[in-house]
Amino acid sequence: MALNDAEVGRYARQLILPAWGEEAQERLRGARVRVAGGGLATVPAIYYLAAAGVGTIWIDDPDPVAPGDGAGWAFGPGEVGKPRGAASAVFAAAANGLVKADLFRPGSRPTAVLVCGATMDVSRAIAEEARLLQLAHVVADVDGQGGAATTVPIGAPCYACATRPGLGAAPTPEGAAAVGALAALELILLVAGISQEPRARRIEIFRGTPLTRPTARQPGCACNAGGPGVSGA
Amino acid sequence: MGGSLSDKSALVIGAGGLGGPAALALAAAGVGRLILVDEDAVESSNLNRQPLFGEADLGRRKAEAAGARISRIHPGVKVDARDARFAPDSAKDLVSAADVVVDASDNFATRFLANDTALSARRPLVHGGVLRYSAQFLTVMPGKTGCLRCLFEAPPAEGTVPTCAQAGVLGALAGFAGALMGAEALRLLAGERGAYAGRLVAFDGRSGRTRLVPLRVRAGCPVCSAVAGATQEGA
Amino acid sequence: MSGRLPASRIDLRQHACPVTWVKARIALGRIPEGAILEVLLRDGEPRENVPRSAAEDGHRVLRLEPAPEEGAGTWRAWLERGPAVEEGRWP
Repeated sequence: MALNDAEVGRYARQLILPAWGEEAQERLRGARVRVAGGGLATVPAIYYLAAAGVGTIWIDDPDPVAPGDGAGWAFGPGEVGKPRGAASAVFAAAANGLVKADLFRPGSRPTAVLVCGATMDVSRAIAEEARLLQLAHVVADVDGQGGAATTVPIGAPCYACATRPGLGAAPTPEGAAAVGALAALELILLVAGISQEPRARRIEIFRGTPLTRPTARQPGCACNAGGPGVSGA
Repeated sequence: MGGSLSDKSALVIGAGGLGGPAALALAAAGVGRLILVDEDAVESSNLNRQPLFGEADLGRRKAEAAGARISRIHPGVKVDARDARFAPDSAKDLVSAADVVVDASDNFATRFLANDTALSARRPLVHGGVLRYSAQFLTVMPGKTGCLRCLFEAPPAEGTVPTCAQAGVLGALAGFAGALMGAEALRLLAGERGAYAGRLVAFDGRSGRTRLVPLRVRAGCPVCSAVAGATQEGA
Repeated sequence: MSGRLPASRIDLRQHACPVTWVKARIALGRIPEGAILEVLLRDGEPRENVPRSAAEDGHRVLRLEPAPEEGAGTWRAWLERGPAVEEGRWP
């Protein structure tokens, strides 16, 4: 379905980007992205997905708002204790009334996943679940003032293969915002069909400087067996 | 730079795609005072990349809306929001009141004014910009590193560099860049040298490539020579 | 010049920049390479901005002329669609 006048006005600045045609914006509109993991990068990531025009955003986050949550982007002292998923959905909807932002319900069928795990173990589990469902996903890891965004198109080397330990530093709000925005950017480019090869990559931010490398399968990993869900040795 | 973050002041020029995330980073980390300068009102086409504003803020003055949003979320931060252009008659006072300057503006006239004013006031300056799929960062340490005029001998000629209004911008890339600019400002406030000091860091979001361009003081840079001369005389 | 006529026509006079160029770009994206889009523009910023942006985006400006018969201050541009942009793949 073609873009209407409200969409053209809202997305004007990105509709004039090189390689960004009407189809790219329509693909974003048709996407249903599940955001899961409860990590600090979640709210900035959700903001940029909504702002870019991802049509449906499902927020999978059962926890209450704690001080410092949302990387300091959305929740004031008055929001502490409220359900965080719902509050994040309100923030996304306020950013862009043209998108639907709701809580994720079991049985929903997303078309892609943005993984923002509070820990790497949490991220690994959600990423593996997405891989087995053959859903493209991007993982946001916050590490001190930086971290990494790992892009996993369908069939690509998995997140576990791509990951390496960082500093193990406590996440900061500025790091969470940078990594959340970067992960959203990667997912937007992927879903819109604008990514350049190699699309499977990990972008690490260390001392403020991004470093990108293509991902590769580790020998023996289940994602190496020629397809997701292949059982046996 | 000694002292705790809650005693420090940061000036952020521009409250939009870059300035919003930078200001939020500074506020969330606990900076004592945030001075925001923006002369515009919130427009529909801003909303794809400016996290300090939502649909309900359309038509509102940006400085006022930004100040209200940050104060609601971070009541411990003193917010001084100026609905004004960053211009020669006010630049010196604004910069002198801050411990670090974040240039999140979108035009070269403002960038050069911020550069020159920060240098003569001896304040570290974080400069950043996004254009289409690329982001760039540069930190100027007066008396120690090169400055924007070492990089560009003169502002680019009218019409040769597309303004934001003509070229596309991707919200998420601006958010990424603004957050990194905020992080850099926090490093400077903590007394660290800064990741972008003395080098232009350029990131292409599509290819993922990062270029590092060392920036030395250019012999003949009028602004850096003035700083060096004064340092030698004054000691 | 061949006797080619525009394949499509769009009136952008009621829009302000940057929407003028955005709509022109979308309309160009909907016609085949080599086809011509006729655009009606207001004088001033749209008349300067749209043809220049089209050229920067890889299209050719075949005509740019006043079109007073369409209304005061109206300009007409004929834009020839350039090569299709290389698209990425689906997720």
